[in-house]
Amino acid sequence: MARSSRDRPAHSYAAEMGMGREEIQRRKEWLEITPQDEERIRSLHTLAHEYADEVIDDLYRHFLTFPEVADFFKETSVLDHVKAMQRDYFVRLTGGNYDDAYVEERLKIGAVHERVGVDVKWYLGAYNHYIRFVGAKIFESMEDRPEEALATYFALQKLIYLDIGLAIDTYVFQRERTIRMQQEAIRELSTPVLQVREGLLILPIVGAIDSQRALQLTEALLASIARTRARVVVIDITGVPAVDSLVANHLVQTVEAARLMGATAILTGISPEIAQTLVTLGLSLGQMRTVGDLQGGIEEAERLLGYRVTKVGRPEDSYPADG
Amino acid sequence: MAVPILRQGDVLIASIQSAPTDEDLRLLQETLVERIGRYRTRGVVIDVTLMDVMDSYACRTLRSVGQMARLRGAETVLVGIQPDVAFSMVQLGLRMEGVHTALDLDAGLSLLRARLASRQRPSGGDGAPPHQ
Repeated sequence: MARSSRDRPAHSYAAEMGMGREEIQRRKEWLEITPQDEERIRSLHTLAHEYADEVIDDLYRHFLTFPEVADFFKETSVLDHVKAMQRDYFVRLTGGNYDDAYVEERLKIGAVHERVGVDVKWYLGAYNHYIRFVGAKIFESMEDRPEEALATYFALQKLIYLDIGLAIDTYVFQRERTIRMQQEAIRELSTPVLQVREGLLILPIVGAIDSQRALQLTEALLASIARTRARVVVIDITGVPAVDSLVANHLVQTVEAARLMGATAILTGISPEIAQTLVTLGLSLGQMRTVGDLQGGIEEAERLLGYRVTKVGRPEDSYPADG
Repeated sequence: MAVPILRQGDVLIASIQSAPTDEDLRLLQETLVERIGRYRTRGVVIDVTLMDVMDSYACRTLRSVGQMARLRGAETVLVGIQPDVAFSMVQLGLRMEGVHTALDLDAGLSLLRARLASRQRPSGGDGAPPHQ
């Protein structure tokens, strides 16, 4: 595994997560991992090799008593593969250098586990199992040197805590990345600015407004004003579930920015609840032009722009006649 | 560099270059207020299309020009504020109240014409564009 991550230096989990050499060093210092500790863990390497199969078999015997795990490993080939990986992982624990390559490897494994949906609790269960199993073996093999056995055990424990920290961080990082991607997706669905007449734009806002979105809305609106030479903008907030002082402030800013570019903004679609909230909070949208609904807003805008919309005849007359 | 001021009928047009110094702006204010009287000007258009930054001093000076011009009997329209300039102005809380704004020189001149026309005919003042 270490080899494969070295073959493809292009994607580095450590780099992505900002886990540089310094950070790794700090983590080791935080856990008080000394060179002697590393030496002690390395001395377990033969022992680990010897018992690797046993500990992994034991671990899976335990895991497979849980129906959800058994379900996951229905196919024997999958189980064998995972066990082989697990064995590598276990042996690598005592494999010596705990440097950036080691961290990269650990992060990668964490990311893979996160992707296939292995919960942190399973992860911790496995560590718990390892440390108990290996602990027993350490004390067995160093019967005559109990102090050294304890020191070795603690060294191993420190290393495992380092691993756990890395694993949990990958989980958090991956989840946060998912959230970021979703936020971006939402942002992309964001608000269109529509031109309905020459000089008249409509900005229908649907969904909650946060600062990020408010900035984006304002930017999009200003760019559209410049492009279409709009003189009136109707901002419809019928689809906005709630307005607090922050959102109200954003709206005021948007309206003012539009005015700076020579466009008048009309705010429409303030629901009874939002009207009550605004008044109760003592927020006045004072200098804003507000009209009840979008239709009213468009009519007001047409009036300001000097349009007069006239209905010609009955609806059926508006169908094209033959000849 | 001093801001050039052009005269077009009863309107004065000042076009500010990309990065005016505080001194340029102060000079502009002084010159404009003086020329309004000299040329019996009724409207002033200040074009800031080329300004990519509007700091608080520039903002305050331009606002004052608007107020002083009104005292001297002329209407002022500020034109050409760029989208990102408008955006950063509201974020910084810079206000431009009391000054009319329009998208560009063309829109600014029509706004001014409409306002001046409506002032001449107080009875039919409803045809003005939507700028207060």
